[in-house]
Amino acid sequence: MATRTEEDFTEATRRRRRPRPTFAWVAQVVSGVLLLVLLTAHMVAQHFVVEGGLRTYDQVIAWIRNPVVFAVEALLLVCVTWHGIAGVHAVLLDLGLRGRAERIVARVLLDLAVATILYGLWLLYMLAFRG
Amino acid sequence: MSSPRTVLLKVFRYGPDDAAPRYDQFRVPAGPRTTVLDALLAIQRRQDPSLSVRHSCLHGSCGTCGMRVNGREVLACVTRLDGLGDAVVVEPLAGAAVAGDLVVDMEHVYRRLEPVGRPLLRASERAGPDGAEAAAAPGTVPVLEELERFEDCIECGLCLSACPVAGDPRFLGPAALAAAERVLEEPRGTDGRAVLGLVDDAHGAWRCHAAFECSAVCPAGVDPGGAIMRLRRRLLADRLPRLVGRYHQEVPS
Amino acid sequence: MMRAGLRRGDKRRLVPRWLDPHGRHLGTWAFVANRLTGLGLVVYLYLHLVILSTLLRGPEAWDGLVELFRRPVFLAFDVLLVAGLAFHGFNGLRVALVGSGLLVDRHKALLVAAGTLVGLVTLVAAVRIVG
Repeated sequence: MATRTEEDFTEATRRRRRPRPTFAWVAQVVSGVLLLVLLTAHMVAQHFVVEGGLRTYDQVIAWIRNPVVFAVEALLLVCVTWHGIAGVHAVLLDLGLRGRAERIVARVLLDLAVATILYGLWLLYMLAFRG
Repeated sequence: MSSPRTVLLKVFRYGPDDAAPRYDQFRVPAGPRTTVLDALLAIQRRQDPSLSVRHSCLHGSCGTCGMRVNGREVLACVTRLDGLGDAVVVEPLAGAAVAGDLVVDMEHVYRRLEPVGRPLLRASERAGPDGAEAAAAPGTVPVLEELERFEDCIECGLCLSACPVAGDPRFLGPAALAAAERVLEEPRGTDGRAVLGLVDDAHGAWRCHAAFECSAVCPAGVDPGGAIMRLRRRLLADRLPRLVGRYHQEVPS
Repeated sequence: MMRAGLRRGDKRRLVPRWLDPHGRHLGTWAFVANRLTGLGLVVYLYLHLVILSTLLRGPEAWDGLVELFRRPVFLAFDVLLVAGLAFHGFNGLRVALVGSGLLVDRHKALLVAAGTLVGLVTLVAAVRIVG
């Protein structure tokens, strides 16, 4: 019954230099915790402060022009897109993706995340400055 | 005198000559203490000698008779039919190649444990200083007398079958990760940093989704789920300071 | 790698392994629920962004939409949304803690606590939304 030698272990460690999976986990935790705060604030501020719970067009524009609101909504957008897309990635990974399919899916998801954030920021800008 | 009740067993059948798996039904007498393995062996003896079943110790310590009963991973020799209902579904462990009927190839368990260095057997202090050093020296084959089993894990494979993720052969899986955590808790001459590097992988400790199904089915009290989380804590404690600093990890010389 | 005589045992899977409920315990249910709420929320995110784009079409379009969203069926959906969000958030916090190696032995108790919070939040939201 042979045991693995130290050289085999060292080689395995060298191949795993960058702590990317740790970073992915930390990012998911941090974004998740931020979302707990931001989404609660978002839900309360959007729906439980205004009379009737939903803002009319004029109320939305007035609201989004507030720089603090704008910043929070932008941060919320980035966090929720990152957290959500990373989550979808985990689900797809468990379907057994490997090799080329895995790389393609990762790339598509990254592009989707970037596109979503850009679109959301553009929408915020249009409402705050051109509404 | 009441006649013993009978239980209907729906047993997974898949042999080398079969085109596809099927479920055969067998009715077996069942007393209050009849186990699933008792019933399967009775089927083998009296109804269908072609049924393939594997077992050894008959008391839950060898891990040979692992299978799924009504979808849940158990050791058949210690699982009573009483309380499982009138119809019981018996299937082999999930995610493993079927050698025949309920017998699976356990290779998927052993090949995952291998890279962790099989810490389930490690140098015994009783072997003396030479014995311990011989076991840790690279490129040597330790002698059996120098090794002792220090672990609870009986390598039964129930955890790998129960895990919602372990269908992916790349995932190290609960048994191997729990073994890795044991190495880090009690190195006894094994290189801890190398093991840490091995599990710090997208398909290592980070692939687990904290379902704890492994811990729920483990018959030996290993708690692999808990072990994986403790592994992650070690990784975070080790990697987090570096994340804010440099990315480059030094390999100890 | 299969030797001669070894066969694949699993039947063709219609659903991925993590969705198979047979014989599973509480921890797996929590994991499945987290996944399903997460996927649902991602779908909702994009639905939400599409709906918000109506703001670009001006006050008439948006205010009309607001009237639509005051209907009971949409209010009921809103309560469902809050419940899903609450579960994913509170259970997610549990996963963040346990998955980082903290309070691991209490993961079941944490699930009960999370469930209680979800019930409370959903109740408060239901009263505010429908009331």
